[in-house]
Amino acid sequence: MKKLLTALAPFLAIAFLLYVTVGRYYNNAIVYQEDAKTAWSKVESAYQRRADLIPNLVNTVKGYAKHEKETLEAVIKARAAATQTKIDPTNITPEQLAQFQQAQQGLSGALSRLLVTVEKYPELKADKHFLELQSQLEGTENRIKVERDRFNDAVNVYNIHIKKFPGRLFAGLFGFKEMARFSSEKGAEKAPKVEF
Amino acid sequence: MSKLKFIVLFFVIYSGFLSMSGQDRYMLAPVPKLVIEKDGLPQKPTLQQQQTVSVYDYAHMLTDAERKKLQEKISKYNDSTSTQIVIATIKKLNDDISLYATEWAHKWGIGQKNKGNGIFILISRDDHKITIRTGYGVEHLLTDALSRRIIERDIIPYFKQGKFYEGLNAALDTIQKILSGEFTNDTSDSESWPFWAVFLFIFFMIIIIALVFGNSSGSSGSSSGGGPIIYTSSGSSSSWGSSSGSSSFGGGFSGGFGGGGFGGGGATGSW
Repeated sequence: MKKLLTALAPFLAIAFLLYVTVGRYYNNAIVYQEDAKTAWSKVESAYQRRADLIPNLVNTVKGYAKHEKETLEAVIKARAAATQTKIDPTNITPEQLAQFQQAQQGLSGALSRLLVTVEKYPELKADKHFLELQSQLEGTENRIKVERDRFNDAVNVYNIHIKKFPGRLFAGLFGFKEMARFSSEKGAEKAPKVEF
Repeated sequence: MSKLKFIVLFFVIYSGFLSMSGQDRYMLAPVPKLVIEKDGLPQKPTLQQQQTVSVYDYAHMLTDAERKKLQEKISKYNDSTSTQIVIATIKKLNDDISLYATEWAHKWGIGQKNKGNGIFILISRDDHKITIRTGYGVEHLLTDALSRRIIERDIIPYFKQGKFYEGLNAALDTIQKILSGEFTNDTSDSESWPFWAVFLFIFFMIIIIALVFGNSSGSSGSSSGGGPIIYTSSGSSSSWGSSSGSSSFGGGFSGGFGGGGFGGGGATGSW
């Protein structure tokens, strides 16, 4: 009995070590995955915030610029398309994300065209309500950029974790898949420089 | 007669103590050096710097006296509401100031973690740009539109005349008015002992005191001895320690930055 135990001891030790290593790997992967999902929900809510501002904006513009029907309808359509494109946060594939990004960019484009038309209506530009909406919209675009960047960072941490050497062996075993990231827009990579 | 003397002496010493702590309050800590780290953002100040500085005037836009006055206003507001306002000035920025300031404030963790009640004002001197960044927890009060209004009405008219202190002072007043009543400072409570622990501690102290003084003769001794001991012990564990720290440091936040998050809310303007 005693002999058997001493013979088994090294194997038991190895099994235990393996268990600890794999367990730690698995737990970390779960944490990183959850972080990325949280970051995603913040991305979504930033986009949602923008979508929520649009009906108000459209109504305000309508009051001054009745002739811009086409531009306004384009915004409404793009908004509908953007809010319909939803992503399953447990499984963010590159295709899904590209689709999402395209729909949101469609809305961005329609919005910026609307804001260009506004230039023709000085009374609208001076409207208090419009000015407030405009600053809320600017802030929301900022929020979108911030949350997108943070989502990409969170996905990066997760992806590196499941692709690095020991993790690579276990990722398939536990079904961890690489997550998709936002493709960056022009000029987004420049590192900021402060002079002092 | 001797009692009167004692009271007079007490007041003399007490007022002396007050004026001493008052002098401490007026000491102005220097602005720490601006160190840009690998992530492109300024290094987070040390805890002591967080406690002594809330206006990081890297670009030297304010006189010492002006900075002191702004810091006192900010520090006092933090004491009563736990809301942390930080102002920073830099010379020039080759980046989108709104995004940069958001990440800066997020990294430093301005505001309390669970409340997100941080506000960060960044001024880029040579770009003539100013931005107000709002933490997650104040976005619904100090909305982007209101931030814009503060910049346009309170700040820019003064900044155009080169009156930076006046502009910032007016902005602080408006911000505090907008946020008034929303947050209360209960950070010292949450950080100190839970209620039952304080209660148990006091309870055991009473028993110990009763045992020590109960055997010796005077009944008046036990009451006069017991009172102050309980008072000072429970006091020193929480409120006295933190409040004495904040008054002697002054200018910053007694508990340091609380870890509040920023998500990109706010407004930017130029003068």
